[in-house]
Amino acid sequence: MEYTSPLEKTLRAIALTLVVIFFMFPILWIFLMSFQTNETILRVPPSVVFEPTLTNYQALITGKLETSAASLEINFMRNLFNSVFLSVASVAVAMLLGVPAAYAFARHKFRGSEDIAFTLLSFRFAPPLLVLLPLALYFQQIGLADTYIGLIWVYQLICLPLILWIVRGYFEDISPDIEYAYRIAGHSWFATFRKIALPLAGPGIAAAGLLAFIFAWNNFIFALVLASADKQPVTVGALAFITASGIQYGQIAAGIVLSIAPTLALALYAQKYLVEGLSLGAVKG
Amino acid sequence: MTETALSLRNVDKFYGPIGHGVHAVRDVSMDFAKGEIVALLGSSGCGKTSTLRMIAGFEEVSRGSIMLADRDISRLAPAKRNVAMAFEGYSLYPPLTVRDNISFALKSTNLSAGDIAARVSEISDMLEIGDILDRYPSSISGGQQQRASLGRALVRDADLHLLDEPMGQLEPQLRALLRGRIKHFIKERGLTAILVTHDQTEANALADRIAVMEDGVLQQFDSPEVLRDKPSNLFTGTFVGEPPMNVFEAEVSAEKGTISLQFKNEMSLQYAAGSFSDEICEAMLSRQHVMIGVRPYAVRRTDKKGIRTKVAVNQWLGDQSHIAAEFAGGMLVLVEHDRAEVKPGQEIKIDLEPSSLHIFDRASGEAIAHGTELAS
Amino acid sequence: MASLELKNIAKRYKGETVLDDVSLSVAEGETLVLFGPSGAGKTVLLRLVAGVIEPDQGQVLIGGEDMTDTEAEDRGIGMAFQNFALFPHMSAFENIASPLEAQRATPGAIRAGVEAVARLLKIDHVLGHAPRELSNGQKQRTALARALAGAPPILLLDDPLRNVDAKLRFEMRLELPRLLAEQNATVIYVTQDYKEAMALGDRIAVMSNGRIEQIGTPADIYLDPANIDIASLFGDPIINLLEVTPAAGSKGLAAQISGVPVRLGNRDPAIAGQEMVMGIRPEAIGFVSAKSKAAIPVDVEAETPLNEKTVTLAKTAGGREILISRPAGTPGPASGKAYISIDGEAALLFAKSDGTRAGKGGQDLETEGEAA
Repeated sequence: MEYTSPLEKTLRAIALTLVVIFFMFPILWIFLMSFQTNETILRVPPSVVFEPTLTNYQALITGKLETSAASLEINFMRNLFNSVFLSVASVAVAMLLGVPAAYAFARHKFRGSEDIAFTLLSFRFAPPLLVLLPLALYFQQIGLADTYIGLIWVYQLICLPLILWIVRGYFEDISPDIEYAYRIAGHSWFATFRKIALPLAGPGIAAAGLLAFIFAWNNFIFALVLASADKQPVTVGALAFITASGIQYGQIAAGIVLSIAPTLALALYAQKYLVEGLSLGAVKG
Repeated sequence: MTETALSLRNVDKFYGPIGHGVHAVRDVSMDFAKGEIVALLGSSGCGKTSTLRMIAGFEEVSRGSIMLADRDISRLAPAKRNVAMAFEGYSLYPPLTVRDNISFALKSTNLSAGDIAARVSEISDMLEIGDILDRYPSSISGGQQQRASLGRALVRDADLHLLDEPMGQLEPQLRALLRGRIKHFIKERGLTAILVTHDQTEANALADRIAVMEDGVLQQFDSPEVLRDKPSNLFTGTFVGEPPMNVFEAEVSAEKGTISLQFKNEMSLQYAAGSFSDEICEAMLSRQHVMIGVRPYAVRRTDKKGIRTKVAVNQWLGDQSHIAAEFAGGMLVLVEHDRAEVKPGQEIKIDLEPSSLHIFDRASGEAIAHGTELAS
Repeated sequence: MASLELKNIAKRYKGETVLDDVSLSVAEGETLVLFGPSGAGKTVLLRLVAGVIEPDQGQVLIGGEDMTDTEAEDRGIGMAFQNFALFPHMSAFENIASPLEAQRATPGAIRAGVEAVARLLKIDHVLGHAPRELSNGQKQRTALARALAGAPPILLLDDPLRNVDAKLRFEMRLELPRLLAEQNATVIYVTQDYKEAMALGDRIAVMSNGRIEQIGTPADIYLDPANIDIASLFGDPIINLLEVTPAAGSKGLAAQISGVPVRLGNRDPAIAGQEMVMGIRPEAIGFVSAKSKAAIPVDVEAETPLNEKTVTLAKTAGGREILISRPAGTPGPASGKAYISIDGEAALLFAKSDGTRAGKGGQDLETEGEAA
């Protein structure tokens, strides 16, 4: 029976608070760090009281890093642009290829269709390095190394299976009767795909796109191996802050804040849409 | 049958805070006699399942009390209430065979293994599951699972048997037979049973008394005969009975010793004022706007003087004919037990005797009078 | 309006035969009910006609034209689904409009068409609502309106009343015949409810295990079923099935029930001495006084009222259970000892070995004449 005593309620609240602190603390700490100089960050004992400064952000945006030892050129903004461009382009390509493929896999079972779908997923199982080293050699040969096109192509290893498998599930959840009803009403299969399947799987497609974007954004190893400085995304670019004269914690923190901002904003924006879409899907015709 | 087995006293159920949450059950008081079969009947969301779950102890009673054999059980854990229940979703134990499911609760009693086996075999014969006793729930059909779940509840000696939608999934071919057998079984052993159902046919078939619920409120709690002849309001009148009661809006007027009911489409009925008692005449005339209800079986075709109308459809179902005739802008349905040879478009004459009428207030839906009282 | 013909249709799924050599023809304007238990293949057959499933074998002819390889959208069909299958992201109006849009009607014609069919089905006040805002009854009517909107010559209704409550189902059952007549369409109606089948069908095709077992008018099927299974599918309460061995006596054939001879009337004498199952409808059994001729003593076990009837479960001394039905309000015992009489002439006899009809009686012969 559901009797909850006041003691139980209090304990529950404390437990929840602890969980929230545990997960939120690192993010909060990074955020605070980004407004501090290396000196205040490294003082012992650490303190939340400090004089906030924008020097870290300034350094990132202007591209000049002043340390006690020397001044250093960094191209963080270039990295940020690379991240955005690579992620958006990869997701767009993956959607274009993956959504129709997902529909085909969901609706038209043919001999070997399961195997093909599984093979695509299995790319996700292999350690990336296993794929990367031979690829790096091929890419050198055919001139794709250190090009955006080459990177976007490789990024399909991340995005395509995600889109394919998630969206396929959403297509399968649409009652075939709804599509049959549209066909019988006199519409072609393509019109049915466009007017029924796509809108109904919309939330799923958005969710898959978002996930693929985040995975692409957070990727480190592909770009590390296959791209040089001017094509590298922020994940790789952040390495530049580990300098010979020490680790620039303040700039790293500011870099992290700037680089998670787009994905966070996207997730927050899409959250409402996703929840709405999912509950719509739950109401069967 | 006068000994009270269970009583609900001013029971309320809120989901969420008391007074603010969803008010699922509203001030329900009921007494259940020992050895009685009661049906809680209503559409989904009417509060019947919440009531049952409060009796079983799966839901907290928000206000009021539940007394089982004179002790307040409102806050007792379900296991201590000595109540057997068959769940709507069956809730059979998946790792146990049907036989073990049924005998599960018996094993913790001091019955001998032989007695348990005898009981299981008796109940499984009754429910036609003798041949699937050694199968597992996942390998039998929905109807078989429902019968196993019923068996698991009925096999127990409990103060109270609660059956949640006990027959919804039963195979149509077994339904009539099992209804008879189960009613016989419960009556023979003097069990007290409460069943929850949305199907008025099932409630009528099994129950001694039916509690009709709607919007968390107990609408009427009476025997099937009283529900049929004297429904307390329009809701009960139209909810109980298949085919449902015919209902038409009417205006009442009186002149020169006749009472006239004016329906839509210029249709009207005249009755001699003597057909109604003075009290009822007054009640009708003071309201003027009433709803007139007529049970389909009470509408008769006649060769003599009657209302002329046209047949819209005549559907023969093998044992009954359902005829719908045009009446006051709608359809008047009548039931005949023989195969009626009338065709759509054909003109027939029908008779609506005062004793067949049910009169309701149009605004509140409350019953004003019933035909059986009118003649007096 | 168009006629419909299925020729030798076969369909297998994963090695299981779903449809086994089904042939069927539906005349122009006829309403044919496909009736049978779940898994009989009714829905597959309907989808095959609609063109969303392809047969492994056989032909679908619409209006005499072979449409087996024609796409679903080109067959001129309207269909209503059991689960309604409304487009959840479109309003009721857009749902109903979809066949008219496919016909490239003008916006004005679409509006007029949708409103007309919505008025007919009494849902004109909810046209702006999304499906999730509609009650179950309104969803069902919207689905029906969508099927009718394009004025298709063939209408397929897949158990459209399955998911609405008893009261709405009853109302629609009365309303549908007129609605369908106005549409001038050839209709195939699938249902598992024998009452719907009897009420709506010009003819009923009884399906089981992927085959059509019997096809005929409601009266043919109810009064003259081809086998035990069909007899037990029609009627509520179910037909009583009693094992008997008819014997020839001085007054014709008779079967012994609890030691009392029940006269079977004028039937093929060849069935004498054979093991048979006697099917006797509950309404053909009545309570009688102890002194009546051929009164069978029984114990009344329980009385269960059913839709303006009173159904009684009684047991003979030999332990046979018998269901007896009488109009509600007529007298009868509620418990204890009682006597019944069985109208043996109305009984249907089936061979015990395979369940097929045997020893048709005088009455059966009459109904056959009526059907022909």
